[in-house]
Amino acid sequence: MRVQLFATCLGDLVLPEAVADAEALLRGAGHEVVFPAGQVCCGQPAFNAGHRRAAARVARTFVRAFSRELPVVVPSGSCATMLSHCLPELLGVEPYEVYELSAFLAGTALPRLNDGRTIAYHDSCHMLRELGISDQPRALLEASGATLVALRRPDLCCGFGGTFSVRQPEISVAMADDKLGDAAAVAAEVLVTADPGCLVHLRARAEQAGGPRVVHLATALARGIDA
Amino acid sequence: MSALDQPPGAFRARARDALAAERMQAALDSSTLRLYDHRVAAWDGLGDVEALRETARRIREGTLARLDDHLEAFADAVEARGGTVFFARTAEEARAYVVDVCTRAGARLAVKSKSMLSEEIGLNAALEAAGVHAVETDLGEYLLQLAGKHPAHIVAPAIELTKEDCAELLSRAGGVSVEPELEALTAAARAQLREAFKTADVGITGANFAVAETGSICLVTNEGNGRLVSSLPRVCISLLGMERVVPTTAELAILLRLLARSGTGQPLTVYTTLLTGPRREGEEDGPEESHVVIIDNGRTNLLRGRYRTMLSCIRCGACLNTCPIYRRAGGNAYSDVYSGPMGAVLLPLLVGLRQAPALPHASSLCGACTAACPVKIPLHELLLDLRRDLVAEGVASRRERLAFALWSLAWSRPWGYRLATSAARLGQRFGALAGPGRVWASAGRALPRLARRRYRDVRR
Repeated sequence: MRVQLFATCLGDLVLPEAVADAEALLRGAGHEVVFPAGQVCCGQPAFNAGHRRAAARVARTFVRAFSRELPVVVPSGSCATMLSHCLPELLGVEPYEVYELSAFLAGTALPRLNDGRTIAYHDSCHMLRELGISDQPRALLEASGATLVALRRPDLCCGFGGTFSVRQPEISVAMADDKLGDAAAVAAEVLVTADPGCLVHLRARAEQAGGPRVVHLATALARGIDA
Repeated sequence: MSALDQPPGAFRARARDALAAERMQAALDSSTLRLYDHRVAAWDGLGDVEALRETARRIREGTLARLDDHLEAFADAVEARGGTVFFARTAEEARAYVVDVCTRAGARLAVKSKSMLSEEIGLNAALEAAGVHAVETDLGEYLLQLAGKHPAHIVAPAIELTKEDCAELLSRAGGVSVEPELEALTAAARAQLREAFKTADVGITGANFAVAETGSICLVTNEGNGRLVSSLPRVCISLLGMERVVPTTAELAILLRLLARSGTGQPLTVYTTLLTGPRREGEEDGPEESHVVIIDNGRTNLLRGRYRTMLSCIRCGACLNTCPIYRRAGGNAYSDVYSGPMGAVLLPLLVGLRQAPALPHASSLCGACTAACPVKIPLHELLLDLRRDLVAEGVASRRERLAFALWSLAWSRPWGYRLATSAARLGQRFGALAGPGRVWASAGRALPRLARRRYRDVRR
């Protein structure tokens, strides 16, 4: 199938290797990947901060860059939510066919790159509650050979929350500590998440305060958790 | 400034204090997790909880759509049973009425069962000023009164106190040392409160619900203090938020199935009390005078428009218990009255956005609250709507609006995005010196590094 890949701004700027892994997974599953050159950002940072005009201005780049003829695949639960749940209303446009990466790849055969490894999966909030995606990423990780250990509360927000992370930095970091502590408590080798926002925040905290490594789902599946 | 007003920096400052208070963090952590687990288990035990939530939502929304009619029916029913009803438009009117009833009764001592509305209208201070000593009889509220603190949770007000804190407070109040064990604590509180129950002239209750059909006030408690407060003193006054009416006992029964299960995980609280007017001829107990104060205090502002759904709230506390921010920031970061997600939505609506501009942002919009709400209030969506209002009404700072405007202009074209992000990469080593980068790093996070090459450049 031909699909359009939306890198997302964080993916493009901070985690290009995770986007490359997402593209590799899509190709590995036999899909043809189109990368629309004009893509920028879904506008979510402004939208969730209440700045709808600013959000609309940026979100229009998506409408200009992407076609409704082909499905859009996004390696980010929250950007997928923005595109599928908020963008049509924000811009008054018809919805696009948008898939979060793991939901799109569900059921795909994968190389067993994580055989015998112990992984904790962090549900990102929008992906879990708005998109209802929680089994697919776990099933894919298990298909890659990993043993999943359940966090005490896998649904607990990691504290990123866009501008929340800088409006309430202390609480935001305390929440990251809760998440990293939960992962350490179940002796996970790595913490895997499908959201660049959670990942950047958790990794930034773990870098300073210690804690398990945080890996993007696409990387864990495409190159294994040691990549 | 009312007790509900929250200046811009208050949440962050108080949350920071809460994070530094180790004992409080431990108490919050264990209590919220326990209540969360209990709610999840209780919901599982219900069978089709989703159907019940939907029914409850419809009951609440349906009642609010015709609130005037239901309130009128309720008031008629109360009066038909010999009670007195007073509509208070503001907190001030409500306080004045209660003080007036107490003064006319010659009261010196009032006993109170738990009422968040009483906290909302600042009743205790008004009573003290009028020479009426008010004693809280809910165990948590009593402890807070002894500590000179305010409720940190709408259901478990003293959630932030450890049993050692409680023992200290009760020892000091009773003049004898009390062991930090549950039974000893309860026995000490009971002994201290018993005298107040016996000698009080007036009893003041809140109201979990009011039944229009029968004119009854419904109280749910676990300690039985609500019964003593409403039956021993000569005069009983119930404070009712104007939105808490249900048409009939049939709807009440449905909401009661969800209330305690959602709050504490109990099928029902230990006591469910229905107060219906004063003592009638031939009855052995009950007050001689019964008053219901129906309080608006800003609620009418919500009745028309998309925020009306917030008035569906039945104050179960489930959204607090599940909230990852509440469990770290603690209740008083939000206000001295309402807290957690329901507080973050309700307070700005009651007092106006300018009086509580930080609260819509005291959330990561994770949506755990919405998933936990027994009457399906879309709490995190309302917070998002309030954020939009902050910008639309010019409450958001000019600096913030300018920053988003400039960002969106730069990122409105691919070339602008490329230019802006290339510049940002060049300047990123200075990112921790100013602006959001400094705030990000100040809390103990490494600054994320922009990759040497963007994916779009790698891919070419």
